[in-house]
Amino acid sequence: MLMPKRVKYRREHRGRMKGRAKGGTEVSFGEYGLQALEPAWITNRQIEAARIAMTRFMKRGGKVWIKIFPNKPYTAKPLEVRMGSGKGAPEGWVAVVKPGKILFEVAGVSEDVAREALRLASHKLPIKTKFVKREEVGGEANES
Amino acid sequence: MAHVLEAKPRPDLKKSVSKKLRKEGYVPAVLYGKETESTTVAVPSIELIKTLREVGRNGIIDLNIEGTDKKHQVIVHDLQVDNIKDELIHADFYEVDMKSEMESEVNVTLVGDAPGERDGGIVSHLLYTLTVRALPAEFPEEIKVDISDLNIGDVVQVGDLPENSKYTIMNEPEETIVTVLPPEQHDTTEETEEVAEPELVGAEDKEEEKEEE
Repeated sequence: MLMPKRVKYRREHRGRMKGRAKGGTEVSFGEYGLQALEPAWITNRQIEAARIAMTRFMKRGGKVWIKIFPNKPYTAKPLEVRMGSGKGAPEGWVAVVKPGKILFEVAGVSEDVAREALRLASHKLPIKTKFVKREEVGGEANES
Repeated sequence: MAHVLEAKPRPDLKKSVSKKLRKEGYVPAVLYGKETESTTVAVPSIELIKTLREVGRNGIIDLNIEGTDKKHQVIVHDLQVDNIKDELIHADFYEVDMKSEMESEVNVTLVGDAPGERDGGIVSHLLYTLTVRALPAEFPEEIKVDISDLNIGDVVQVGDLPENSKYTIMNEPEETIVTVLPPEQHDTTEETEEVAEPELVGAEDKEEEKEEE
């Protein structure tokens, strides 16, 4: 499962997810991609589930790129514990995703296979996504 | 046949005006060149997309600005696209000098089926665009790379492309355009083992300090 090797602090503030993704908004390695349309925290478990769904469908052949990394720890308090007494224990790792971010990229397979693989992956994620192709003039190729 | 695009002047540069123009179906744009003063214009969005589809990314367009007599021969230098809505936000038109060479990016298209792919290999397309130097009218719409005799492990580099008298490719000859990789064994199993928590940066230093004390 994806997670950082070393961190400076064990717990982080939650932060906000205002606005759109600043970078990583274009298909840059593969031919097809899955673009986020909503902001969300994507956990490392969700990323792993999506990766497995894609690679299982593509069997052999094709290459997959994961363009997000869960570098933010999230904490939770145990059940039936009163408020206060400090911040909870680290529970897992998330990637902060904003609208427009390309989450996964695929290459080396036909468009139909890529579309289906990314559709299966999208069902493992907590947000709406769309299928995108490498940039073409006028953006006419990027239909969801 | 020359492709003509009608533009109207855009003297007001306010954000609200640009937004209104986009709502009306126009794309705010700017025209500039070596000997051309920067002029802000607006072009109909649908016409621009249609023209670009016809002439390609490096095609020459005749830009007529409403209220002026001069025709401008331009290429689309830059396009800003809203990548969620897939709408054009802004275009840059560069007035070209038809007699001097210039550089631009040209798309690479793979042609044919690689025998290596049939044997289970993965066609890995690494370079999707090439930097080409040519006269504005001589730019190819795309550069085709034949992969019909690529086996597993074979590579096509920039230096392997046939030379063309009309344009020069500016990329390094050693750059790889496409290769056929051996079949990859995808890991489709779920990792069940719990991985230890990441260590803290500076934790070792603190321990050492304590020991010294």
